[in-house]
Amino acid sequence: MASLEDQRSTIYKVDPEHPETESLPTLRTEELLLNMGPQHPSTHGVLKVILELEGERIVKSTPVLGFLHRGVEKLAEDGTYQQFIPHTDRLDYVCAMYNNYAYCRAVEKLMDMAIPERAEYLRTIVAEVQRIIGHLFWLGTQALDIGAMTVFFYTFRDREILLDWFDELCGARLTTSWYRIGGVERDFTPSLEAKIRQFLDYFPPKIDEYVVFLEKNRIWLARTRGVAVITAEDALSFGLSGPTLRGSGVDYDLRKYESYGAYPKCEFSVPVGKNGDTYDRYWIRVEEMRESIKIVQQCMDQMPKEGAILADVPSVTLPPKDRVFTNLESMIQQFKLFSQGFDAPAGEVYCGTEAHKGELGFYIVSTGGGKPYRLKIRAPSFIHMGAFDEMARGYMIADAVTIFGTYDIVMGECDR
Amino acid sequence: MALKPVTALDGEAVTIDLSIDGQTVSATEGVSLYDVVSSTGKVVPAMCYHYTFDPFGSCGMCLVTVEGKKAPVRSCTAKATAGMVVTTESEDLFLARKKAVEKHLSVHPLDCPVCDADGHCELQDMAFEHQVTDLANAKQKNIPEDTRSLVLDFNMNRCIACGECINICKDVQRIDALQFMKKGGFTQVVAKGDQALDCEFCGDCLAVCPVGAITNKYSKYVYKPWQLKKTLTTCNYCGDGCQMYVETKDTEVTRVTSVLSWKNKWGDRLDTANGHGGLCVRGRFGFQFIDSQARLRYPLVRAGKELKEKPWIEALDFAAARLQEVKATYGPQAIAGLMTARCTNEELYLFQKFMRMVIGTNHLDSSARYGHLNFVRAVDHALGISRMMNTSEEITKAKAILLVGSNITETNPVASVRVKQAIGVYKAQVIVVDSAQTNIAKLASYPLMVTPGTEGLFVQGLVHSVLAQDLVDGEVTGQFPDALATLQQATAHLSLEEIARQTGVAVEQINAVAKIFAEAPTSIIMCGEGIVRQPDGYANVLNLVDLAWVTGKLGKPGCGINTLTEEANEQGAVDMGAAPEFLPGSVSFHDQAAREKFSQAWNADLPVVEQGENLMGILEGCRRGDIKALYVVGENPLATLPASCGVEEALSKLELLICQDPFLTETAQQAHVVFPACTFAEKDGTVTNQEGKVQFVRPALDPLGESVLDWHIIVGLANALGASMEYETTQDIQTEMRKLLPAYYNLGQPKKVVGDPSAYFTNGYNDETMARYKNTRFEATNSRPFGLRLVQLLYHSGKLSTQASGLMALSPNTGSLLMCAEDMERLGLSETDQVRVTSDVGSIELSVQADMSLMPASCAFPEHFNDPPIKDIIPMECDPVTGVPYFKLARVTVEKAS
Amino acid sequence: MSSPSSTKKFFDAVLFKEIWNAMKVTFKHMFHRPMTFEYPREKRTIPDAHRGALGLLRYDDGQERCVGCDLCEAACPSRCIKVISEEDTSMPLQRYASEFYIDITKCVFCGYCVEACPVNALAMTKVYEFSTHDKRDLLFDKTRLYEIGEQHIDDAKRYLYAHNQEKKGEESRAYRYHFPQSVQRQQDASSL
Repeated sequence: MASLEDQRSTIYKVDPEHPETESLPTLRTEELLLNMGPQHPSTHGVLKVILELEGERIVKSTPVLGFLHRGVEKLAEDGTYQQFIPHTDRLDYVCAMYNNYAYCRAVEKLMDMAIPERAEYLRTIVAEVQRIIGHLFWLGTQALDIGAMTVFFYTFRDREILLDWFDELCGARLTTSWYRIGGVERDFTPSLEAKIRQFLDYFPPKIDEYVVFLEKNRIWLARTRGVAVITAEDALSFGLSGPTLRGSGVDYDLRKYESYGAYPKCEFSVPVGKNGDTYDRYWIRVEEMRESIKIVQQCMDQMPKEGAILADVPSVTLPPKDRVFTNLESMIQQFKLFSQGFDAPAGEVYCGTEAHKGELGFYIVSTGGGKPYRLKIRAPSFIHMGAFDEMARGYMIADAVTIFGTYDIVMGECDR
Repeated sequence: MALKPVTALDGEAVTIDLSIDGQTVSATEGVSLYDVVSSTGKVVPAMCYHYTFDPFGSCGMCLVTVEGKKAPVRSCTAKATAGMVVTTESEDLFLARKKAVEKHLSVHPLDCPVCDADGHCELQDMAFEHQVTDLANAKQKNIPEDTRSLVLDFNMNRCIACGECINICKDVQRIDALQFMKKGGFTQVVAKGDQALDCEFCGDCLAVCPVGAITNKYSKYVYKPWQLKKTLTTCNYCGDGCQMYVETKDTEVTRVTSVLSWKNKWGDRLDTANGHGGLCVRGRFGFQFIDSQARLRYPLVRAGKELKEKPWIEALDFAAARLQEVKATYGPQAIAGLMTARCTNEELYLFQKFMRMVIGTNHLDSSARYGHLNFVRAVDHALGISRMMNTSEEITKAKAILLVGSNITETNPVASVRVKQAIGVYKAQVIVVDSAQTNIAKLASYPLMVTPGTEGLFVQGLVHSVLAQDLVDGEVTGQFPDALATLQQATAHLSLEEIARQTGVAVEQINAVAKIFAEAPTSIIMCGEGIVRQPDGYANVLNLVDLAWVTGKLGKPGCGINTLTEEANEQGAVDMGAAPEFLPGSVSFHDQAAREKFSQAWNADLPVVEQGENLMGILEGCRRGDIKALYVVGENPLATLPASCGVEEALSKLELLICQDPFLTETAQQAHVVFPACTFAEKDGTVTNQEGKVQFVRPALDPLGESVLDWHIIVGLANALGASMEYETTQDIQTEMRKLLPAYYNLGQPKKVVGDPSAYFTNGYNDETMARYKNTRFEATNSRPFGLRLVQLLYHSGKLSTQASGLMALSPNTGSLLMCAEDMERLGLSETDQVRVTSDVGSIELSVQADMSLMPASCAFPEHFNDPPIKDIIPMECDPVTGVPYFKLARVTVEKAS
Repeated sequence: MSSPSSTKKFFDAVLFKEIWNAMKVTFKHMFHRPMTFEYPREKRTIPDAHRGALGLLRYDDGQERCVGCDLCEAACPSRCIKVISEEDTSMPLQRYASEFYIDITKCVFCGYCVEACPVNALAMTKVYEFSTHDKRDLLFDKTRLYEIGEQHIDDAKRYLYAHNQEKKGEESRAYRYHFPQSVQRQQDASSL
């Protein structure tokens, strides 16, 4: 321990030629390096950022990633394609369904499979419900980060309804693993359908409620308007996607551009911002929830009442269980698929899907056989973290929290 | 592509062109169309095909369309003809193949969950690949499982009648133990005559069975392929050095599989000359010793009469301190070491380095002393080489094979497949000289039975016959006319009639055999324990050299003299210098240049030239009290050598006996310290097979308990003695060996050895030869009419295999003397009787059993068992040159015990 | 949308209108039923499809369904299942799991093992409270798994129906999965 005297002398400079001036110390100024995280509650997990501060202003920021690295991409190489689905649950753990969806879509693209119509609708409905959950989660936590606690309670209340609905659908609230390569695991029951319709009526007024809290709230406006502005050009060059990109005025939404699932059969608009600031991104997410409701509504109406939920491709999809009990061919199929997986053609495939955070892409390299040779996940959280320095520079230290939040960052996905 | 019997083997066949999927391919006329297709890299499914035997054509999967034929044809049984236009892929063919799979599936039981083949099943693969989804009219066969065989269960419900098992047994193994039989309305595979299977149990049928119809009794229902970790390693039983997969589940060995499998069915039949990838019963079913309960798990240190478990550090300290004490008190010459040739090259190298550098003694030996060194010393002396001369390919393609004194199908079963292939595919003349009706003799063109112990005499007779019939190769012998003259002079006194009388082989037969051997374009000699482990082994190998020389078979490509080894790394033990007369690289211990090289590399002086006792010398030294400490690695002289050797007395006189072994052997029970060592399945390193191939041993599982790799113990001991042996991995030792023995590893391929006899024939050949042929030692006496032999069994290898429960179940110690049925009748014996066997040394009483393979006036007992201790009544004799102990043969009387 | 007049804006700002509006919403919520409940005294209703603790099942006559085929082990993405199978000497050709372990600390509750099982010997239940002082308790062995299966047999069955693994009324068709079928057929034939 340095003595008190030593400590003093490091703080106060003493002019050696005029020792008598000791009583008039000169204040030393230099940039302060501040470690924010990885235990900071507002960093959404275990993110650490090294901030170079000049006073309270951020001069430079360096995100330090990897605290939650689990080697998920490597794990994928060790199991069959089907076995990786539960691992995707744990990427963006607040939004498992969409991860499942993005992964299954990539594998289906590799296998060049067609999905039954009803399954496509089911997938789209659940994906949009997941988008609402994701945005609710984001809205609550972002408001909480900025200081508005009430919104957090209300959004989480409504999120709970949907999570319970997931539980009833697939048996788990967060780690869903409901999607399958070629379809989905389980069909809606009448009760599930009734519940989702009920939710469609219940939810739009609730969105208005959240907006009441925030839209005109002067603290909210002060903390979000003009904060973390990024131009459309910069946003594109940083590879941003999702609401973060659309907030800067770029109309880019894979649901429209790639029109997968049942999206092409639905009418919906893609909200686009103007200023590229935190407020615009907030507004886009709120609007997207409203659009999602529309999509779910349309899908529920258009969906064929009956039909297969899993593609009937014996070399890829599992046989119905009752056939396994009695039928040797199905039993062989069951054993082959579970013990060795299906034989994917050699090749490379990239498939991006519009998750609520942005473009979630899976890049699969296959050399044939039942396991991927390499699997790369394009995680929006990770890509967005790259723009953090650009967006945080020049803002106050307290805004750093807002800026993490505005990406909707989840470290499970970012560190993989 | 495979060569079918219809095709001439020596390249006389015509080359033709045909078109496959629009691609022009040239092929040999008459070969199977399937082979031509697969030679282009196209994979056409076939469930009954395997490259090691002729196409059978039962599965109906290998369909292709041939222009001009309406229906698809089975490509495996179709012959390639000029101008054929073949299509291998089309929608119709896919459907036709799918139909064929459906045919098999419709009578297949719903057994996948319980079937051992699940996950490694061709029927599954085919059904999945051809997307068979819904089958009408599936029915069951309901055939009860045949569990009569000791190692294999036959579940004929699962059989698809592909015939692979039958074909491999017939065409490759030439045992023909299986057959199809129509039973209960279905064609089933049964053992010949629908009896319990009684064969060599090589398990190749199990390996090629594409479904789960044949299952391994020792690992039945305990695994699924996806649970197992497969490690490719080298079998540790005999000198064949077969590659095998040890499949483990955590800390247990679940099964052993061969490279031969239905999965690698595409290949060139000519490649099988280098081995067909199969295993024998020992390799495949004798794996239980690896994780046996009997394994030593902790170091033991003697406390009074008992051995107590002690921590490693204490045991090592104790051993090192005592060794140091002995060395300080009596000098390094009071310490000796013995090592088993089942250890890896690296361990053998370190062992001799430890003895020579750290201890400073040259009293060291390995189990190669039990016979193999006779061969090595003889060929080293005569030709300057230190191992057998031919590769397995040359053996396969030889025109004549003289197999003398080797029950090859029992001792080296996989090497015997090469001889079988020479007989079957290459139509070689095989002369088998043995004192029993061996399995290879049944296939041979000239099976000759000699009286036990007269194999050497027979060889002399052959030499004499060759000279007498003037079958001498003038060109070769012309280079050394003196030597030829000497040989003629030396053999002049021999009388073929006398030899015929003593050996029991007619003069005409000796002459005929000599003629065949001499006149064949390529002739190979293979000698086994009947030569190298019986009195005058060294001289007899030299006689074989004479035989090969006079017939011009020495140094000629494709000809040579070969031996077979009992333990996995006997050749490596010699090459690594684990013998007093050799330095690493089989250089003489006297070689000044080599001595300098090694003493420089090891930074120590080598023991002086005059020193160096071999196995028998060491035991003698112990008895005399000259040797006070003995370091025994994996050896068990107490159980191996007969009582007349006085091993027990020798060991009891020792001040320090250090044993390191995976098991508590008889010798270890006498020890002061016992270190638990690992088996080959835990080791990392290389072994050298009899052919000279240096092959990898890879660790399949972690060392059991606190057992430690042999070389770790040696290094630990060396370091405790204050020497610095700084090896961290096996690679470190290998790096050192690479520097000192350049190109020893040679990428796992045997180096071509060419002997040069000129020094031998010009230097002292005369006296030596005269002395050698003087020998007429054998004379059957009426007082001891029976020849008692200690024989090796197919199911066992040394004493190691007696720890493998699977092999013990197949071949337990019956404790009975094996006798010819005629003799038993003559002596009025039945199998319930006890007999008394008396030799010059002792007498023992035991039960008796008839054995069809034995000739009259001979009896046998397996050498692997010591209960009753029949080995103790066998007189022991030492080779005057090599010091090899001979204790496999005795003249005895057999009488009914009162 | 017409922009509000500047006067209105001024008054809204001075009077903190947006705060009052927000307070109105909060105030209304005072009269709502509470959304939370007091776990562990109250528990949520778990849906039938819920993927909780795994249990092993028996047929109605007490015969173990599991034949030790190991497919669950192969299907498990987190490698938490270990099956040791053996031949059942009491029944000809019957394979069974002599030991069966699920390391519940590793389990990710994905339900693949249930989906894989060719005899529906495994099912998930509504058990989710695993807290313990000893981590070793979380290695479920065969006894424990059968216990869970027995205690929660109804949940397990409902789970199987919910996930299309079994049809109602079919589960009592005992011995359909008794392997090998060939032996069973013979027994059936003799009993007829």
